[in-house]
Amino acid sequence: MKSLFGWLDERLDVKGLRRALLDREVPDPLTWWHTLGSATLGVFLVQAISGMVLATYYSPSPDHAYASIGYIDGVVTGGALLRGMHNWGASAMVVLVLAHMIRVFSLGAYKYPREVNWLVGLVLLFAVLGFSFTGYLLPWDQKAYWATQVGTGIAGTTPLIGAELVSLLRGGVELGAATLTRFYAFHVLWLPAILVACLLPHLGMVIRQGIAPRPKALEDGAPPRTTDPSYPAYYAPAYAATKQRGARFWPDVIAKDVLIVLLTIGVIVLLATLAPPHLDGPADPTDLSYIPRPEWYFLPLYQLLALVPGSMETVVAVGVPTALLLLLIALPFVDTGSKRNLRHRPWSMAGFVVILGSSVLLMDAAIRARAPVSVAEGGRHLSSTEMAGRALFQTQQCGSCHKVAGVGTSEQGPDLTEVGLHHSSAWMHSYIENPKRFHPDSEMPAFGYPKLSHQEIEELAQYLASLRGHAPAGVPPQFHDTFP
Amino acid sequence: MAADRRTFLKLLSAAGGVAAAALTVIPALRAFASPLASRPGPENWIRLGEASEFDLDVPVNVNFVQTVQDAWVENRVLHNVWVYTEDGENFIVYNGRCPHLGCGFSFDETAKEFRCPCHRGRFDAKTGAVLAGPPPRGLDLLETRIEKGILHASYRDFRAGVPDKIALG
Repeated sequence: MKSLFGWLDERLDVKGLRRALLDREVPDPLTWWHTLGSATLGVFLVQAISGMVLATYYSPSPDHAYASIGYIDGVVTGGALLRGMHNWGASAMVVLVLAHMIRVFSLGAYKYPREVNWLVGLVLLFAVLGFSFTGYLLPWDQKAYWATQVGTGIAGTTPLIGAELVSLLRGGVELGAATLTRFYAFHVLWLPAILVACLLPHLGMVIRQGIAPRPKALEDGAPPRTTDPSYPAYYAPAYAATKQRGARFWPDVIAKDVLIVLLTIGVIVLLATLAPPHLDGPADPTDLSYIPRPEWYFLPLYQLLALVPGSMETVVAVGVPTALLLLLIALPFVDTGSKRNLRHRPWSMAGFVVILGSSVLLMDAAIRARAPVSVAEGGRHLSSTEMAGRALFQTQQCGSCHKVAGVGTSEQGPDLTEVGLHHSSAWMHSYIENPKRFHPDSEMPAFGYPKLSHQEIEELAQYLASLRGHAPAGVPPQFHDTFP
Repeated sequence: MAADRRTFLKLLSAAGGVAAAALTVIPALRAFASPLASRPGPENWIRLGEASEFDLDVPVNVNFVQTVQDAWVENRVLHNVWVYTEDGENFIVYNGRCPHLGCGFSFDETAKEFRCPCHRGRFDAKTGAVLAGPPPRGLDLLETRIEKGILHASYRDFRAGVPDKIALG
């Protein structure tokens, strides 16, 4: 064993490698926040390993994708657990990458001399979001299909190149077989290649430039701007001084990293066990009643789109992410102040609070907006007549007077959340035709012919009859219909 | 003191690293090795035809199509068996795959024996025993029964290339 090591060392200078990689001195003390990058790397390995096994059972074709996921969940030993780990791991990746970025941002670690690594990190961030977006489609269930329909549709609103962009993403005009193989190829070939190609220099630069220290060590006596000609001469000794306390990468930094990685993976496995991934019904392009929702970390953007008027949609859907990206790219070149602690950088602090705060508020709004849809229709599949009725409910703006499960702009008219439990569709049909026949002082307009056709009123009445609030399926309605 | 601390941190890192790797790799390997856990499926009786209609002393090839679950795909597959009877009462039914490497074999009318075209395996028509060539065991006999004059066989495939007759799932 010793001689084998000696043999290798003679040829490869293993000892030198060890000195350069493991024994190198690091700034001391570092924070626990410094472990977030390693935690991300750890979860990436979980994703790679679980993904390689999942790929052995997955069939990227619309005919078989859904069934092959069912096979993984139902037949493969521990398949549901593995898919759960991959699914929760995806969320963990996004959380950790963002947390890592926030750490780098708040400690000013993107400033001189690490501007380039910040840019590489941005590519990695978008690779991770790309993984998430492409992976979401693969189960080919309802949420996968419709979320991708919307997601690629957003790209289509890009000015000038929208149509071309959609075709490139979807592999055709419509979402279909070519989209699935495309997303699969992106997910298992392109993105891993991009990610690894950026990850290696990302880590290489950390080794070459050293770990960014706590801000304080680089603030005392620093020239006001990192662009000052004297800054490099200030930086080198100030950084070297942080490494004087004898802490080494191995084992001082690695021990902390390993503990956090273990904790993170433990949480992922626990979540995968307690909350196995959900599989919706198979993708059904004809089901117009399905309300797609993106993966949770896209919810702020999703909610933002729900708030802006249609004419502004393009600006927001494409503009906001693009503006954010440009802001992040420009950051290390614009923000050249030598203060690194976020508390000493009022503009950065303000921007950070605004972006994070609005994301949290939007996320909260999106989560609260989720409830009505499921309550109103109880997650049931509507018949085509009921669907037509729901469309009429919207186009006739019934919601401007009636609320359904909390949605609606005023409470001028009665709440209709549970109307299907109290009135028959026949009664509602007559009522909608001419409310004044029932209540002479009713303020509701009559919707009878010529405003709506008999057929349309019937559709509306049948949709309303399907609204049963929280009542469990199978509870018979009790009608109190009184006709004039 | 510092040396003790270092040693402790190294051991901690190693133990933590092993645990983290195990948490990831064990579920992955279990799922990957899932095919090893497959068991033979339930019995699969197929109808071969009127017992009285089979030729005597000449093996007859019977093809049949079955709907099978191939992992997540439902497939229609064509199988074949060879039916041999000397007296019209006792039947021998062979699985139509050569036990050497799974090729389809045929009956040689002049030599009165089964011949596999792939590697020249030869089998006795009456017993399925190996007469010549590389097959490690005789032809695979299937369980049979006659119900209301109809011959049935319990169809199974067996692992090729090994001396023992091992049913596949």
